[in-house]
Amino acid sequence: MSDCSEELTRPATEDDDEMETSVVSSAGMHFPWLQNKLETVVTGGKKKKDFAQTTSACLSFIQEALLKHQWQRAAEFMHSYLQILEDLDSHKRQAAPEIIWKLGSEILFYHPKSNVETFNTFADRMKNIGVLNYLKISLQHALYLLHHGMLEDANRNLSQAETWRYGEKSASQEIIMNLVQAYKGLLQYYTWSKKKMELSKLDKNDYAYSTKSRNILNQSWKTSTHIGALIKIPGVWDPFVKSYVEMLEFYGDHDGARKVLTNYAYDAKFPSNPNAHIYLYNFLKREKAPKAKLLSVLKILYEIVPSHQLMLEFHVLLRKSEKEEHRKLGLEVLFGLLDFAGCTKNITAWKYLAKYLKQILIQNHPTWVQEQWNSRKTWWPTFHFSYFWAKCDWKEDTDLACEKAFVAGILLGKGCRYFRYILKQDHQVLRKKIKQMKKSVKKYSIVNLSI
Amino acid sequence: MDFPSPLRPAFFMTGPLGMTDIPDLSFMCSWRDALTLPESPLPCSKGGALPPAQDLLWEPALPGPVPLLPPGPDPWDPGLTARDLLFRGANPYRRQPRAVLDITEQLSHFLWDHGDVAFTPLGKLMLENFKLEGNRSRSKKVTVVSVKNLVRDLSGHQPWGCPWAYLTHRQRRFSILGGPVLSRTVSSLLGRLLREELALKWEQLMLDEAFTGGALAWLPGRTVGTGQLVYPTGGALDRLYLHEVSLASAGDPQVLGDPGCIQLRGPVRQVVTSTVQGETLLAVRSDYHCAVWKVGRQGRPAPLQVVQVEKGATGVSLSPHLPGELAVCSRSGAVCLWTPQDGLQQIYKDSDTLVFRDLSPWRWADFTAHPRVLTVGDRTGVKMIDTQAPPGCGLMLFRGGAEASCQKGERVLLVQYLGQTDGGSLPPTLHLVCTQFSLYLVDERLPLVPMMKWDHGLASPPLLARLLPPPGPSCPQPLLLGGQGGQLQLLHITGDGTSPPRLAAHPQSLPSCTDSLSAFPLLEPKSHQQLQERLEAPTIGLSATIPPPCGSTPILSVFQLSAAGDIFYQHLRLQTACSLRDEGPPGSPGPHRLPAGAASHPQDHAPTPSWDAQATAHCSRWMEALLQVPRVPRTWTAPTFSHRHLLGRLELQQSAGKTTERLRAAMAEGRLLRRGDLGPLPAAEPPPAPQPGPQDQLTERLGEAWEGRGAAWWGRQQDKVSGPKKQAKRAKRRTQLSSTFSQSSCIDHPDSPGGPTPSPSEAAPRPPVTPPSQASLSGPWLPRAPLERRQRLRDQVARLPPEDTPKQATVPLSQQTPGLTSSQPPRKKPRMGF
Repeated sequence: MSDCSEELTRPATEDDDEMETSVVSSAGMHFPWLQNKLETVVTGGKKKKDFAQTTSACLSFIQEALLKHQWQRAAEFMHSYLQILEDLDSHKRQAAPEIIWKLGSEILFYHPKSNVETFNTFADRMKNIGVLNYLKISLQHALYLLHHGMLEDANRNLSQAETWRYGEKSASQEIIMNLVQAYKGLLQYYTWSKKKMELSKLDKNDYAYSTKSRNILNQSWKTSTHIGALIKIPGVWDPFVKSYVEMLEFYGDHDGARKVLTNYAYDAKFPSNPNAHIYLYNFLKREKAPKAKLLSVLKILYEIVPSHQLMLEFHVLLRKSEKEEHRKLGLEVLFGLLDFAGCTKNITAWKYLAKYLKQILIQNHPTWVQEQWNSRKTWWPTFHFSYFWAKCDWKEDTDLACEKAFVAGILLGKGCRYFRYILKQDHQVLRKKIKQMKKSVKKYSIVNLSI
Repeated sequence: MDFPSPLRPAFFMTGPLGMTDIPDLSFMCSWRDALTLPESPLPCSKGGALPPAQDLLWEPALPGPVPLLPPGPDPWDPGLTARDLLFRGANPYRRQPRAVLDITEQLSHFLWDHGDVAFTPLGKLMLENFKLEGNRSRSKKVTVVSVKNLVRDLSGHQPWGCPWAYLTHRQRRFSILGGPVLSRTVSSLLGRLLREELALKWEQLMLDEAFTGGALAWLPGRTVGTGQLVYPTGGALDRLYLHEVSLASAGDPQVLGDPGCIQLRGPVRQVVTSTVQGETLLAVRSDYHCAVWKVGRQGRPAPLQVVQVEKGATGVSLSPHLPGELAVCSRSGAVCLWTPQDGLQQIYKDSDTLVFRDLSPWRWADFTAHPRVLTVGDRTGVKMIDTQAPPGCGLMLFRGGAEASCQKGERVLLVQYLGQTDGGSLPPTLHLVCTQFSLYLVDERLPLVPMMKWDHGLASPPLLARLLPPPGPSCPQPLLLGGQGGQLQLLHITGDGTSPPRLAAHPQSLPSCTDSLSAFPLLEPKSHQQLQERLEAPTIGLSATIPPPCGSTPILSVFQLSAAGDIFYQHLRLQTACSLRDEGPPGSPGPHRLPAGAASHPQDHAPTPSWDAQATAHCSRWMEALLQVPRVPRTWTAPTFSHRHLLGRLELQQSAGKTTERLRAAMAEGRLLRRGDLGPLPAAEPPPAPQPGPQDQLTERLGEAWEGRGAAWWGRQQDKVSGPKKQAKRAKRRTQLSSTFSQSSCIDHPDSPGGPTPSPSEAAPRPPVTPPSQASLSGPWLPRAPLERRQRLRDQVARLPPEDTPKQATVPLSQQTPGLTSSQPPRKKPRMGF
């Protein structure tokens, strides 16, 4: 009990300790390694109590064992660490369940001898120690079960969490509750889609069909309330939105689906998630929406991710467009895509660019090309059309090399090293193509024009 | 490029650091990342699609890293430690130790060592009131004091903080009178500057950002398995070495030939290499300069250009897209694009930090997947800047705040573009952001929302990171994270174009240099400490490579550069459950996983790696070479102070005049100055020997007591020190000077008033359970007030009639002090507590 009396007589100034330690480092930055350094210097003062010493040593042993993948050893230490739940320091006692859950679940996830039952028992115990973590642990427990293919158990878990009440609900608990419900909705979606698969195998005139479809309908109702609340909160909710929209679409609620997707994509409070725009575009495409609408969605996606695969589709749409500004944008999109390091070997993009450059120059719009080229002429030659790439591309993909050579010829003139290198190569099959290329470069190259 | 879909669910909230009401969904579990939601709605098909909880481990071949090269000829000084800067001892009422800069000690060191600087002006002012020789003279106008007595009193070694320092009345008076004048000028002028300097040093000790990025690089050679290590060496780290190393054999790396050396005029802080389109460039950052070399086919570097950064360079990076393009950032907040052909082009300048106000001038710049877009980072966040766009534009990539659920006090320490590695499956749009708590992977296509977060928990700032290509097809990519304290962590990152990056297994820690202490032979304490200091030197460079496997298991070679200039290497073998995975159905639910899992965790039972003879022999050779290296003399030694020394200086002063004259003459004539010109050779100052002081008395006394002659010694001492006159005054002084209380040995002298009935006076205040040795040993360290109170109590008890004294109280005392007669016990305590 000596510990206890010491705790009681401790002066009340200790709360500001953490603040004061950082006084020395005036920048307000927190140094996790400060404590260790201090302990090597400061020998006087109040010593850590034995209990605190052993528990903190035990914690570091667990962490060390985990980082060395010694699950058995970590489990043994964990066994001893549980005594921290009896710590007389209320701060530590309150923080303990979360640490135990974090480390314990980690150990049980990897431990060779652990199984789902062990994990279940552990999770159920932990939920009720330090009630504040109930929702978080339930959610993770459900995810664990989901990972092991136990959908029903996961669902039961989430239902339990859903009905859990403890005192006043804090704002963060409210949010997690939404997440719990959304995951439940997702589980319902899984069963729904399973049933839908079964349904598609059944005869429409069968009695079973009508009961099944009624069941499905009920489920959809529940799901929509479950997921709907969450996806209004700013965040990344790809799997929920996707499944929710699929269900809405199935029941013909296209307006609802569009509303959900539009909100997900355009709400300023949400992060600019490219997937939101991709889902919206795919939905509109399925819905056979007018071209203008598709273009406007893709234009926003182009502004966020100019390197996305869909930009090729965007280009095709723009190329076919009647409006001149769209056709001009079509060129910009291709140039924009090829700016990125991950897209340099995209043969479709180079093919499109070669074709489109020729088309534009035939239509006599060299200023469009000039405009795009101006900001790139300082670095594209080394980035795309260097001698190194000419050799490399020719070795790896002659088609790509030819397309690039043509573009290089158009943009840099026939003196360009890339173009010259490809031209020099004597290739049986491509000889004709290369000859043609030489001709068109001579005719259309923008270098000639500027002279 | 495809964008990963679906992304993991995450909340997105804006707000400052450490907002507590946001649920942190990451929970910091490594396994949570494995729980990607099933793409296919059919749960039955899902099991196979999910990766099993595989155990991926790089197993070290040896228990610790081994030095690669013999130690350099330059000695290494570990520099300042927390011990030098902080108050030793703490407030007893505080539960947690607290960092308080020890200005008083530093100030007193300064006053001891450079008293002439600190006090000369004052001394000159007070010159007329003091006289160095002769007796003091009285005149009506001015009081002239003779310093001789004062100085005599100061004789003897009185180190700082000595609680037994002997003060005379004269000294006390002088210090009381002169104190305000002396301390105010010195402390007000010097204290502020000193505080600033100490705060700076302390911050540097907490976080030394100079070596951010690392000063060790690996240049792959023309043939597979060979390469060059590029690193700075020498005491000032101003020589850049390029050392060819062969990793072809599965065993230790072979150092080939002598290193190429480039002498620089500043310490090397960062070394970067990059091979773009077959052209290898090598860039080096010093404090105020950046330089770039082109490495030829033979591995010979040819200098291209050097730029000067006036405010100090904080980071340099080489473009992974365009050969010969670099980004340089300076303390002023400017970021420049640098090409040797066109020189510097400033693309960003802002002396303020990005997200919130932070005083650190540290800036960082790196490239992105778009060759014209750079990231600019500071302690608070990371921004993407288009170099072609008008200034002021940009998009935040990472914000220190609620968006990434950052903690209070969290700051960005390292930003790195992970780019494209050969054969890697990760998209080329990922950026690594390290803070002191966590590691974030951010995709530049989805700014502000980290794709992955891992709580690294390193015990030192993570300033080094290296992403390596996957060791085999469909294997996760190792990401090596290095703390300045030498801790290494290896993360297994997997992900492709269609799924977000995640941890494939629990991260692992690699052995650090301090783990290899056991490989060295047993040494005497001093050499052991030297070795330990050397091994504990901060890690300033990290490099790793996966040489072509010469067998089925891939090998990872890790090189570490320490601030002492040593390179340590270790290699690790990939132990993966992949091969054992066939035993059980992959991803099968837990119960079925058990047999396969049990077989796939051999490391729990396998013996931990142990040192082989070759490694220990190598280490002891290295140790021998290290012992040849001269040690750095300590910059500070305990000052000696005696009046003989002081007065002797007066005579030197006179001869000094001649010296200056001769020096001037020699300079005027332009001839070499000989020793003889400087007058008689000053005797080499002997190292500070322990002055006969209280401590010596203690030794002497302890020695005597050991031989059983303690009492006799004490008697002698008493006769020597204390005259009867002094003894009479003692009681008075005791109350006046509580500081000297514990050393005034006279308290319990038989002659003192409480003499006749000593035993009850001892027993009463002292708790009977306290063993005597402990109580007496802790005597001087006990707080003073209780001692005083105890004395008062003792005095009161002494006045009590003797028949009241409980008899048994004497018994424990006489038992406690077998060596002393029963009439002497009262003496014992104060003596031991001297």
